[in-house]
Amino acid sequence: MPKIDPLKDYYATLGIPQDASQDDIRRAYRQLAKLTTHPDSGSGDAEQFQTVRDAYAILSTVESRDAYDRLRQSRGRGTAPLAITGLQSRLELPAMEQEQALYVILDLVPRPDLGDARRKLNLAIVIDRSTSMRDARMQGVKAAAMDVIDALAPDDRLAVIAFSDRAEVVAASATVENKTQFRSALMAIAPGGGTELYQGLSTAISQIRAHVAEDTISHVLLLTDGRTYGDEKLALAAAARVREDGIGISTFGIGEDWNDSFLDDLARQGGGASHYIDSPSKVRDALRNQVRELGALVLHRTSAQVSTAPGVQLIESYRAAPTMEILQADAAGRLTLGGLSAGITVVLALVFSVAMTGTGPRRIARVTIEGEDMVKGAPAALWHDVWVTLRDDPCEGTVPPRLVNTMGRLSIYRLQERAWRALEEGSEEQAALDLESAATRLYDLGYRELGEAAMLEAGRISNGAPPSSKGRKQVRYGTRVLGDVPS
Amino acid sequence: MAQKGAKVVCPSCGADNLPGTLFCVQCGTYLPSGGPLRTEPLPEQDEANPARPRHDSASQEASQRDLNIEVTVVNTGRVLMLSADREILVGRLDSAHGIFPELDMTVDGGLEEGVSRRHARIYMRDGTCFVEDLDSTNGSFLNGDRITPYLPYAFHDGDVLSFGSLQLKFRITSADDEV
Repeated sequence: MPKIDPLKDYYATLGIPQDASQDDIRRAYRQLAKLTTHPDSGSGDAEQFQTVRDAYAILSTVESRDAYDRLRQSRGRGTAPLAITGLQSRLELPAMEQEQALYVILDLVPRPDLGDARRKLNLAIVIDRSTSMRDARMQGVKAAAMDVIDALAPDDRLAVIAFSDRAEVVAASATVENKTQFRSALMAIAPGGGTELYQGLSTAISQIRAHVAEDTISHVLLLTDGRTYGDEKLALAAAARVREDGIGISTFGIGEDWNDSFLDDLARQGGGASHYIDSPSKVRDALRNQVRELGALVLHRTSAQVSTAPGVQLIESYRAAPTMEILQADAAGRLTLGGLSAGITVVLALVFSVAMTGTGPRRIARVTIEGEDMVKGAPAALWHDVWVTLRDDPCEGTVPPRLVNTMGRLSIYRLQERAWRALEEGSEEQAALDLESAATRLYDLGYRELGEAAMLEAGRISNGAPPSSKGRKQVRYGTRVLGDVPS
Repeated sequence: MAQKGAKVVCPSCGADNLPGTLFCVQCGTYLPSGGPLRTEPLPEQDEANPARPRHDSASQEASQRDLNIEVTVVNTGRVLMLSADREILVGRLDSAHGIFPELDMTVDGGLEEGVSRRHARIYMRDGTCFVEDLDSTNGSFLNGDRITPYLPYAFHDGDVLSFGSLQLKFRITSADDEV
């Protein structure tokens, strides 16, 4: 019997939940043992196999399992905050020197019971009060902000900032014991002036920075309907800076005139979400959901790191759900996932190229999910290994339908994103072609309205006209929520 | 399964893809079915004499009566009965993309005849049948005239609808008449 180490996660090693039955444990072990003890698998994974054997030795007898559970509990390491399950396009691959494609989707499911304990919030609402924010827009934004005030607990903090050419603190950061005070401050905001976003953002940051704490979620909610003038770079740099301090940013673009790639970048830098609001009545739902998600955060500032075996390369990486995004590795090779909230499954989609010879099981990649466990207030790391069995004979196998659906929708999203990029680089022809391809695929899947919108923009571009601001947003934000079809 | 080691050439745009690729990196075509399931443009198309949309007001009074729709596929002689109580999709089955047409033309050589997977839809309004082309590759024709995509055209007992080059003869009778 190996020595019990409470710092090791034997359950994760076997890929099972902590409440797994003894039968489940046996089954999981047999499956893993089959992969790792195969005669051809002597490729340096003896250590990995030893870990699996230790985990099984401890969990397979009720006495040692109990002892381990108790030790774990006493150190505050209950069950993992997250369950990871994987789905691959193929489990078996023909062995060949040439590269072939392998698709993997990972479901990251935060443990649902962890959402019950609501996280303390430290929020700043930043409202664009430029002239264009008149009437319905301002009313919609105020109603949405009122909802947030209502939804906050007395010990949550809130600051309200309004900006036009300059920023003003409408309500300084304070706990929301006195909700009436916040409401009347909010009502007093009157539209007028230009849009200088950085002013509003930096004022908001200075308001909430003093109250950043380990057990608190600090977040800026930015609502705007226009283009900011020349301070994009400043704003992006500020967003990247405060992310290090643990302050997140989410953006809400209302109407058609705002710069979507800028607000997307800002939210990405700030580790938050970017929303497109085509009618003022929808701002309430969007803001309410965002605040609810923040309160239910289980894993904060989450990232994924993918390490691959020799001969294997990660060629594409996406978040497929709740909204689609092309993930780009940062300088440290990490894919930023933002916050993971209870009740919301984040789906990661990875495309590998595999060039491997020989036969037998191979671990082609390990995906490590890291983040700050908000419940325990400690860093957490979980991983998922991707295995395939190489065969000499041609192998048949069907691709899981859910994976086909997910990748199909991602390929549409990717096509239209590539179109906008091509347009920025001045290749109108490629942009029109990509949008047409995206439209064709949208029609194929029965998304007629979106397909028509994409086709319309393709037509405008090939006639030498710029795309319409509304059409571009319809296509970009419409395709990104086509999302993942649950199995 | 593609030949071992061979690049997969997209049947739609000709781009090379790695073996095992699901969706063409260049144009997004679903590759495992892209070959045999793709709708090829027919060599020649009758684009002359586009038909005008027509809405028949005389049939308004026939509303809400139960209609029997009997369809004969001209080339195979296959006869189908359709229920008119909901929209009918005309096309070819493609389960991978969730396309399950009520009027599935696969067995009638729909592919060779240029029928798209989502080709057209047929529905009833106020006792009249309408057909609407879904911007199919090879078009839909009402009694030989090409119809404009996304516009409803009324059709009646004895009319012939063509999807690509596949001809369908429609018999529409009232359920009451047929005792």
